[in-house]
Amino acid sequence: MAATLVQELVEREPEQARAAGRLDSPRLAALYEEHSRAIYYLALRLLGDPTQAEDATHDVFVRAYRHLSEFKGLSNIRTWLYRIAINHCRNLSNTWAHRHIHSGVDEAVWATLPDRGDDPLRVIEIKELGTRIQRALESLSDEYRLLLLLVADAELSYEEVGELTTQSADAVRGKLHRARKAFAIQFNKTA
Amino acid sequence: MNPLKTRLQQQAQHEVRQNTTQTPEARQFATAEELLRFDAAQTEVPPGVAERLQETIRQEPKPEPSWWQRWFQK
Repeated sequence: MAATLVQELVEREPEQARAAGRLDSPRLAALYEEHSRAIYYLALRLLGDPTQAEDATHDVFVRAYRHLSEFKGLSNIRTWLYRIAINHCRNLSNTWAHRHIHSGVDEAVWATLPDRGDDPLRVIEIKELGTRIQRALESLSDEYRLLLLLVADAELSYEEVGELTTQSADAVRGKLHRARKAFAIQFNKTA
Repeated sequence: MNPLKTRLQQQAQHEVRQNTTQTPEARQFATAEELLRFDAAQTEVPPGVAERLQETIRQEPKPEPSWWQRWFQK
């Protein structure tokens, strides 16, 4: 599919497009090839719906296509795409009155819970894994959910996760421990 | 090369190798990120997304040629 996309884009007068700074066609195809899975997965887990995640992924790459010239290369391009995706998913969530209900348990309560949340997460039924993960994520605060999803991407450093969540890398490390614990507790409840 | 990134990439590759060699019935993940990484690796982008993207891009208005391109076309 990516090859077809490259061919399609190259056919669209790339010289002219490049001159206008709107499209570097093979670059967009390469972007899609390399990053679409990460963007789709983030959208899927933030929105909780495969159809909405498909729409969001499409919209993110259309936006990237239109604004590729604005990417200055000062940050990782994956970070740039993630930023578009996060903002887009937030807008969609607001538009669709899609807000998730928080568990209502604040950080102080998480901190007082026994440490079993740090136990390994044992998965028996791989088939139902996605559903369980989704349920566990939805029971977390928006902040913890996003933090875990971003940190799970091995291509992002803590500094880059901090950029995306507007906090320091140290703050990311600090919150990550609590987010892991909260997730583990919720995930084990879904068994 | 960012050493942190390298470490994370090596860790992710190690996890994928480890997970793919285990039986599908029972796996253990030390952290939420490992579990999410595994889940992400199992998740495919539906092919319809690329098709729609291609179609949308085809319908995008072509960018205006710059002044010097218009001048040379005269």
